[in-house]
Amino acid sequence: MFALQDLHLQGLSLLSPELTLVTTALVVLMMDLIWKERDSWRLGAIGLVGLGAAALQLVSAHGTQGTAFGLVSIDNFGGFFKLFTSAATGVCIVFVMLDRRERRHRIGEYYFLLLSAAIGIFFMVGTYNLLLLVLGLELASLASYSLAGFHKGEKRSAEAAMKYVVFGGLSAGVMVFGISLLYAVTGTLDMRVMSGALAIDPVGEGVARSLAVALEQSPGMVALAMILILGGFSFKISSAPFHFWAPDVYEGSPTPVTTFLAVASKAGGFGALMRFFGVLFVAPDVGEMVAAYRNEIGMVLALVAAATMTLGNLAALRQTSLKRMLAYSSVAHAGYVLVGVAAMNQAGMEASLFYLAAYYFMNLGAFGFLLYFSGVTGRETLESLRGMGPKAPMITVPMVIFLVSLTGIPPMVGFTGKLQLLYAAMGPAEGLQLGWLAVCLGLNSVISLYYYMRVVRVLFLEDSDEPRPEPQVPMAVFLCLMAFLTVWFGLFFTPLLDLARSGMDLLT
Amino acid sequence: MGVEAYMGVAGMLFVLGIVCIISRRNILYVLMGIEMILNAANINFVACNRFGNGGVEGRMFAIFVIILAAAEAAVALAIVLNVFHLFQSVRPSDADMLRD
Repeated sequence: MFALQDLHLQGLSLLSPELTLVTTALVVLMMDLIWKERDSWRLGAIGLVGLGAAALQLVSAHGTQGTAFGLVSIDNFGGFFKLFTSAATGVCIVFVMLDRRERRHRIGEYYFLLLSAAIGIFFMVGTYNLLLLVLGLELASLASYSLAGFHKGEKRSAEAAMKYVVFGGLSAGVMVFGISLLYAVTGTLDMRVMSGALAIDPVGEGVARSLAVALEQSPGMVALAMILILGGFSFKISSAPFHFWAPDVYEGSPTPVTTFLAVASKAGGFGALMRFFGVLFVAPDVGEMVAAYRNEIGMVLALVAAATMTLGNLAALRQTSLKRMLAYSSVAHAGYVLVGVAAMNQAGMEASLFYLAAYYFMNLGAFGFLLYFSGVTGRETLESLRGMGPKAPMITVPMVIFLVSLTGIPPMVGFTGKLQLLYAAMGPAEGLQLGWLAVCLGLNSVISLYYYMRVVRVLFLEDSDEPRPEPQVPMAVFLCLMAFLTVWFGLFFTPLLDLARSGMDLLT
Repeated sequence: MGVEAYMGVAGMLFVLGIVCIISRRNILYVLMGIEMILNAANINFVACNRFGNGGVEGRMFAIFVIILAAAEAAVALAIVLNVFHLFQSVRPSDADMLRD
């Protein structure tokens, strides 16, 4: 008992990024009540400072390994996703500040909910314990439901929130039921105990069996549990067959929230999914039986990836709203990232991390463009962009770069990312054949070329009498920066590659 | 009576919850279906904890799921209330502004 106090203090110091964010969120909420100003930029600034501090702590903790309270694991993998989340949430807060259509009341709650969702993602990606994973996922989801319906008087926002909460509740329920089955057959909630990497459960005291034993005793139950848990993750990353909510919710939500859902929340889902399947099946010392099972899981994931990208791209082809098109494009991109996970080995997961990093730059840029134009014209259709290209080159030229990168054309970072994924699909885990998935990825890139380039055509090759849009300097600076990074990391991708490599320290 | 009986009940509750979500046209029934699924998971956790697995993890999970269900119901009902104010209906099919 004497060491208990030291233990707790050490755990708290490992949790410093999370604690910083919690403090920031509470400070934002309190200052909102004290200052009582509409359109408060100061609250956004507090949020940004908190996220920056959390990001700094994450960077300085790079390479640290540890476990806080037996539940929260500190490693580079979690660090990668936490850094990603804080950077994406920071951009979303900037978007809220730049959003011209935001009516600006209750703005403090907006920032508070965004920060809460980020905290949820922090816990979701940073744990081996399924209970904490579910709690983190639900915290992120509950904050996102409220954010989707944030514009209370708007019918579209209300409808988006309702669809989100129904699908979200269903998938969370399905996932929790799957976890209960997995608990029934393994007797533990810790993924490392299930995989056999840890002999003693760090928090539980029950009788634990490894997944290999469970597979021998009740294979049907394990299969059912895996399918149900995959269903829960599939909602979070908006992959087939749980992607139906995504276009509606993305279209109806306020644009900064859409950005958060499409970038931060999706990456968080991938973080939890990759940790789960990585530790259970891809770790080097899994037995023969689990290795055989791994290939079946890999095949299921590959089918899901192929279905997701194809459905997303085909649906994006016939959209007239830019926001809805970007929503379907983000569904398709979830399919691309899944290709790396389906390869079920170290290299594949590294490729997925790399592609997520690439996705960060190009997708945030594209959503920034959408936010600017819907603020200027009040519409989100492709029509409203007609002929805008030459009238606002500081905004539209970066957009062309993002679209080219999203398609996967060299020399952008999207191309490098897709190349990594293709390599991953060509060299998956032993006994897994994913050549067809590589072909599918290539074909899908060709399909996506059509609808991405349609935006470029509308912007630059068509004419209209619309007046020159009013400039917004901070947004132009942001878009140019993102476009620069998209090109820069496309040409000099080594830093990003190193980041992905060092981030994949789960399996050693 | 062993753990199988409890898990059988849980399985039935899960299936009933899914059927409720799919077949009902009223959003409140859909939310009740979700609660049934969560409670099915709870029965599993507690039963497996009691028969066989031991420890406290299963019971802990069940307690947290109850809290989760309450939090989710609070947020979901607030959203449904807002939808009802705007659409004068709690049927998802009446709120169809967002579609292809």
